[in-house]
Amino acid sequence: MLTMVFWWLAILLEALLLVRGLQKNLLRRFPIFYSYLFLILVDDFFRFSVYRWFPSHYSQVYWATQFPALVVGSAVIFEVYRVALRAYPGTARMARNLLSFVFAMIFANSLANFSGSIFLRLVERAEELERNLRIVQALAIFMLVSVFLWYAIPFGRNLKGILFGYGLFVGVRVLQYGLRYYFWDDIKPLWPYAQAISFLMVLGVWAGALWSVHPVPEVVPVPPLERDYEVLVASTRGQFQRALARLGWAARL
Amino acid sequence: MGGSPVMSTSIFLTCGVILVFLLRLLASGRDGEDQARVAAPERTRRKSGYALQSRELVFRIFSPGDRDFVSSLRSPQLLRMYREERRKVALHWVRRTSREVGEIMRTHRLISRQSHNLNVATEAGLLLQYLELRSLCSLLVLLISIFGPHALNDLATYADGLYHRLARALPENAAVDGVAPSGNSAAP
Repeated sequence: MLTMVFWWLAILLEALLLVRGLQKNLLRRFPIFYSYLFLILVDDFFRFSVYRWFPSHYSQVYWATQFPALVVGSAVIFEVYRVALRAYPGTARMARNLLSFVFAMIFANSLANFSGSIFLRLVERAEELERNLRIVQALAIFMLVSVFLWYAIPFGRNLKGILFGYGLFVGVRVLQYGLRYYFWDDIKPLWPYAQAISFLMVLGVWAGALWSVHPVPEVVPVPPLERDYEVLVASTRGQFQRALARLGWAARL
Repeated sequence: MGGSPVMSTSIFLTCGVILVFLLRLLASGRDGEDQARVAAPERTRRKSGYALQSRELVFRIFSPGDRDFVSSLRSPQLLRMYREERRKVALHWVRRTSREVGEIMRTHRLISRQSHNLNVATEAGLLLQYLELRSLCSLLVLLISIFGPHALNDLATYADGLYHRLARALPENAAVDGVAPSGNSAAP
């Protein structure tokens, strides 16, 4: 019964978010995110129908609908990267390099551990695959958030909410998968509730952040001379060396 | 993503916790504050480097000259007061230097983020230099808090004295073959 309540609440919140996005014209600003929301709304309806009338097929339907959501969810991360770093081409390149590095490492690792047909693995080890994809997403978000924090990228409430919500969802999923190894017997009955509650929290974060339009703060452009990267690096290095010299004297005196 | 279940679990838990922590940091950030800083990189730059330019100040704070003078007065109470005060001044200077190093890096980040030719390797190198400086400051704070502002100098003097005592104790040729005196005297 409680599961049904969570299910309907999630569907209601997803629909509300979509309607609000339409009203406030946020769909044009974040098309991938709203496509993702639409996809999970359709998924939820479909899964609910199967769960209600064909419960024996639920597991297959769940995994079949989970992978498109995972792929579009990864595209949401890319949208955050694209929108937030539009005004910062150098920082965007740095983030792209870091993300490429993460994906290359994971791809190499997957190749090293690969055996047999990929489709066979998809069917047989769907859960493991989702777990691994969540790790990839977590690493990508980790890299992106690190770059955003380090370079103090201002994003506005809407984009921050999308990233925070999706990051929270991925983080909680990764934690849940981690805990399963040790406490599966204890948490098995609570597992569906934990998943549903965490997802409702995420939808709540999105509803709060996307209720109204908050533009991305415009950055005051730095004069061209200041933007000369080589000069800037030389200046920073010079100041660091002077600081080091002072600290060296203090230590040696 | 192979490996033992324990290993996988640790990786998953660590990833999850770090991600949630980072997101919390992200949520607590304020765009307005960033904007204010963006608007004033020049001002920030002018403000920084105040203490970094005061070479005389460094000599004044850390030179053992004052201590030698106070010691020559042979007043234990005065010497204790001097140590306490000088420790506070030295700690203030190191903490201020540490803050200014942070300010230099922040100014660099705020300007460089708009640069078209940002270089990953250069940024990583600067980050390492920055971390080295901050670690050095933390180490100095620790040493000054425990041993006082003249700790390293005292240590060098002690090592020098120890070397000379050892040299006197050893036979002639062994002292010649050993490490030559460093010449690191107590004088600045």
